[in-house]
Amino acid sequence: MASSGSAVGSGAPVTLKELRPPSPLFADGASLRVLGKLQEYSVETTIVMIVDGDASLKIDTQHLRDLSFRIGSIYQFIGELQIQPDNEVVLRARVGRNVDGLDLNLYYQSLQLVRQFQAERARYQST
Amino acid sequence: MDKSLSLVHVKLLAFDLLSLAQAPTDPQAFSRDGFSLSRAEVLGIVVSRELKPGRFLKFAVDDGTGCVPCILWLNHATSPYFARQRPQGVRLIADVANDQASLVKLGSVARVRGRITSYRGTVQITASSVAVERDPNAEVLHWLDCLRLARRVYGRLGS
Repeated sequence: MASSGSAVGSGAPVTLKELRPPSPLFADGASLRVLGKLQEYSVETTIVMIVDGDASLKIDTQHLRDLSFRIGSIYQFIGELQIQPDNEVVLRARVGRNVDGLDLNLYYQSLQLVRQFQAERARYQST
Repeated sequence: MDKSLSLVHVKLLAFDLLSLAQAPTDPQAFSRDGFSLSRAEVLGIVVSRELKPGRFLKFAVDDGTGCVPCILWLNHATSPYFARQRPQGVRLIADVANDQASLVKLGSVARVRGRITSYRGTVQITASSVAVERDPNAEVLHWLDCLRLARRVYGRLGS
């Protein structure tokens, strides 16, 4: 692909368990980065289902032509959340990648540290 | 002690890099907490890519805290700057840049080093090297490096 535009928003990392009201990230149009184990994949609809513990999320992968899917593998997606009128929630993925081998405990712990650091910097810069 | 980190590539998270202050007297100089910076290293998922063959590759990397615009110049054949240099050397540099550009794909994880510059009021990286990371843990390790350096090194020089 030669071009894909340049002005894109950052996908805020969020765990599937956090992705529910009243989280401010649970909003229509929110740019998010999610991670989970591939549980289902439909070739016809290009919708995949990822799970993390007892939480799950549907991902629309129609724009990810170069990514192949394998049930049971871990995938990461960045895209925009769509909350449909019937309350069905789908992430329309812009990019995705297989992250088999990722240390999930380290990832989630590090994510908390990054959030703490961002909050520290925001406090520091506002003083 | 000189409060400068200009000679090293500072590892910064995107939100930190994008909030750097530009020196009013020198557009090449940026500062963070009073320390001057000129080079940076960022790492993240490639989320946009615009290639102009023979001119440049513009792309953006998203590390989860922000999106860093990057530009890799590919204009070695037409740039007046390179016209003054040995053609053999310029060809080698051009080949390396083109190889690096071909590695930058949507969804890949890129480690980008280069000069901190500004384009239309937004901080960006003018890339001198781009490497694609295959290790799925590379981004997490970069996050931890950035946190450690920001707390223990970048904030403490000269104190």
